[in-house]
Amino acid sequence: MANVVFPYPFPEHLTSLMPEIFVAIAAMALLLIDLFIAQDKKSITAWLAITVSLIAALLSVNVMQSEAVTAFYGFFLLDHFAVLAKVLICLGTAFGMVLSIQYMKDEEHLGEYYVLMLFATLGMMLMASANNFIIMYLGLELMALCIYVLVGYQRKVLRSSEASLKYFILGALSSGMLLYGVTFLYGVSGSFNFAGIGTGLAAAGADAHTAIMLGLVFVIAGLAFKVSMAPFHMWTPDAYEGAPTPITAFMSVGPKVAGFVVFIRILADALPSLQNEYTMILTGLAVLTMAVGNLAAIAQRNIKRMLAYSTIGHVGFIMLGLIAANTDGYAAIMVYMTIYMFMNMGAFAIIILMNREGIPGELIDDFAGLSRVRPVYAMAMGLLMFSLAGIPFLGGFWAKYAVFMAAIEAGHLYLVLYALLFSAVGAFYYIRIVKYIYFDEERVAFNFEESSPMQLTVLVTTIAIVVLGIFPGPLMDICKQALAGLL
Amino acid sequence: MELNNIMNFPILSLSIFLPTLGALVIWLFVRGDRAVRWASLAVSIATFLVTLPLALSFDTSTAHMQFEEFAPWIPTFNVNYQLGVDGISMPFVLLTSLLTIICIVSAWECIQSRVKEYMIAFLVLETTLIGVFCALDAILFYFFWEAMLIPMYLIIGVWGGKNRVYATLKFFLYTLAGSVLMLVAVLVMYFKAGHTFSVLAFMDYPFDFTWQFWLWIAFFVAFAVKVPMWPVHTWLPDAHTEAPTAGSVILAGILLKMGAYGFLRFSLPILPDASQYFVPFMVALSMIAIIYISLVAMMQRDMKRLIAYSSIAHMGFVTLGTFMFSTLALEGAVFGMISHGFVAGALFLCVGVMYDRLHTREIGDYGGVANVMPIFAAVMMLFCMANVALPGASAFVAEALVLLGTFNAHPAAQAAMSVSTKWVAIGAATSVILSACYTLWMYKRVILGDLVKDSVKSMQDMTVREISYFVPLILLVLWLGFYPVPVLNVIHESVTHLVAQATTTKLVAAHALAQAAPILDAVRP
Repeated sequence: MANVVFPYPFPEHLTSLMPEIFVAIAAMALLLIDLFIAQDKKSITAWLAITVSLIAALLSVNVMQSEAVTAFYGFFLLDHFAVLAKVLICLGTAFGMVLSIQYMKDEEHLGEYYVLMLFATLGMMLMASANNFIIMYLGLELMALCIYVLVGYQRKVLRSSEASLKYFILGALSSGMLLYGVTFLYGVSGSFNFAGIGTGLAAAGADAHTAIMLGLVFVIAGLAFKVSMAPFHMWTPDAYEGAPTPITAFMSVGPKVAGFVVFIRILADALPSLQNEYTMILTGLAVLTMAVGNLAAIAQRNIKRMLAYSTIGHVGFIMLGLIAANTDGYAAIMVYMTIYMFMNMGAFAIIILMNREGIPGELIDDFAGLSRVRPVYAMAMGLLMFSLAGIPFLGGFWAKYAVFMAAIEAGHLYLVLYALLFSAVGAFYYIRIVKYIYFDEERVAFNFEESSPMQLTVLVTTIAIVVLGIFPGPLMDICKQALAGLL
Repeated sequence: MELNNIMNFPILSLSIFLPTLGALVIWLFVRGDRAVRWASLAVSIATFLVTLPLALSFDTSTAHMQFEEFAPWIPTFNVNYQLGVDGISMPFVLLTSLLTIICIVSAWECIQSRVKEYMIAFLVLETTLIGVFCALDAILFYFFWEAMLIPMYLIIGVWGGKNRVYATLKFFLYTLAGSVLMLVAVLVMYFKAGHTFSVLAFMDYPFDFTWQFWLWIAFFVAFAVKVPMWPVHTWLPDAHTEAPTAGSVILAGILLKMGAYGFLRFSLPILPDASQYFVPFMVALSMIAIIYISLVAMMQRDMKRLIAYSSIAHMGFVTLGTFMFSTLALEGAVFGMISHGFVAGALFLCVGVMYDRLHTREIGDYGGVANVMPIFAAVMMLFCMANVALPGASAFVAEALVLLGTFNAHPAAQAAMSVSTKWVAIGAATSVILSACYTLWMYKRVILGDLVKDSVKSMQDMTVREISYFVPLILLVLWLGFYPVPVLNVIHESVTHLVAQATTTKLVAAHALAQAAPILDAVRP
């Protein structure tokens, strides 16, 4: 037998990819297993997929090393930050799947649905560990393609297909912009690696200035699309409204986490020499994002659309962490995303439960008088809304506190004042929901679906928000330690 | 030894969290409106008993914080669970726990829908209010300060009058918009004063004048909305009018004091130079509150609105006394807040008693009530006289002290003013006449006169339960009016200390620090 000579050395630290490898294999296996599961027992597929994402979260923690390690010649980076992000992403996926069980039970081809969610998760996990524009783009596209399909999953619902198409066209455009920007940065620095770009840009001469600026602007614009910063937010309300509600919940957390992780890595590793420039651009975007998100949310009558604009508003606050550009700021982003995941998942769980006799209760009016009929759901929704508004003893307050603190530390006092103004504006539309729930009379008879996974979700998220609101210390500690190695 | 034991027992934590624990137990285990009422009453009385040792074993000879507690809360940001009371805050803890009992008793019959939620909201509210007065960590203070909005929003919105949604949204957004600036100020102070949120550390840190100026404004907005001071007072009449009776009592009795307490705890000791700089501004706003708002009160047709405006005017007295920096005026201000808590609370309860019978608050719908409700008429007479600050009532002591203190203002306050504070005192004294006008005129139109309206003829006099919650208020108002010394003793040392803090400039130290900064930076590794 001839000696087989492997052309390249076997990649080192392959074990650090264990979670990703596991998700990829499990997703493909699930696709096959699903063929043997009867249509009326599809919840088994769902539970299997949930198990996969939870195991992936555990594996992510398990492969964590005390020092950052790279694999595949520096393409793949595993540090504490990536681990934290992956745990959040996997939890977000698990929540999204739990929400799907009831909502999607009458749809066809459910096997693919959960498998697509798993592949999207895989893409996000790759983004979290990307140390290189190529792998980042691979992860981004894997995630995006899966989510385009998931948004349009209810093929017979017109607005679902419409949302999917809009999202796809704008998403493809933004991917193009991102790639276009990357080519400029590559042209100047000769590297795709974040750190390599960083050194390349720092060493570049004055004649490269225009190319660098173009690269910077296009990269930021492309990423801004993905995390829905204004004025690149146009797809968000339509996609949120049209998508099946569990997918709306899913895409409001995981992809945002992955997007912000990539954003942080690119700003901190690849573009540190352009801090003045990107701070200026991001400040402009943040000012616009906070205003658009919080003002437009006031005018919404559909609660999914309202939460879409509310997401944009929250992205505006989270951007303060990016602008602060210090460890506290980046840690604050992770604190914010963790708390935001619980708040949003809880709120969407209640919205899904409002589904009455096949007609989704998506109008804000539908919540009128909820407290008289379902006091427990009403209290949960009330607490979640106060939390989203950022009122203390609830988690949302600490999320805002963390980003504002970091921004003040970095000297952006005026921006914080502006943000606080809009957080007071934002409080209006959240407490208006509380008004419908508690102050108004019942208008339509409520017909809540009974679903124990959903009830569990509501319970878990609400308790998490209260506990995080009273004892935020450990979470802030974890996030700060995870980010300590980055700068 | 025994005293030591009491001092080491976490009384403050217990009094803060007992109401919420009680609310939790009631929510989970108590069924039936009747049982809920009794259970809440038991919880509120237990809380009052827990707070009682604060007064009984209070050391009146020191301005130091007492009953202190300390535990790390968020170590990452050096946020600590730091509690303590001094002579300024201790009375408010007792005031809160006492008024909560009265609120719960007063709601016994008039709240019939969602009794359980109502009682839970009040008990949670009590937690946040006591927390505000005990917190010595600025973030903890803000935590309780803002958390208070949630139960209050629900109390006005669920159990309020016709226009309740408008009133409660206005209340919520006004106070929220005001207090977010305070959060910025606190965060800025954290970085200025060396990564700490301790209020006591802030008091020691020399801020330079520019920072004092802007921080003072940020705090001012938060506190002025809460007091409320003209021109950000407009939420109060709406909130008072629409709130259920007990909500008005707690609003007038405690919530308004939080703003004035903020001035005493933050603005004066932490930002003394800015406070002196803003004396004319505060005096002007206080005088507008005293004179203009009194005139507005006179023209009200709704009794609750009238008392609400009267509260704003009386709080004008408090802010005036606060910014005179004299021991007398400050004692008067603190005493005035305590006294006003009882008097305004009692007046709202009086309106509540009438409202429960006729379901109207319009002055014009009454007349000759004394003929059918003689006991009630006597009680209301007493509190109206107290509101006018007649000698013998607690309000008289407060107003006399403030006027005396204003007449002999501290040189620091006098120096900031272009006119003599004696003129300010004379101007403020007109309030005695104005408050007599609006209070007694209302009393005349509602209680006195001939009995002509059929609806009024059907009114029954007060029940034993109703009398029961007026009795402690009557006793307290008279006791504080005739013998205010015990309370003044409690306040005295802390106020003297506060005067010293407010009149000692921090600019010298700030200047020295700025000079030393380059040297310190060079020495630092």
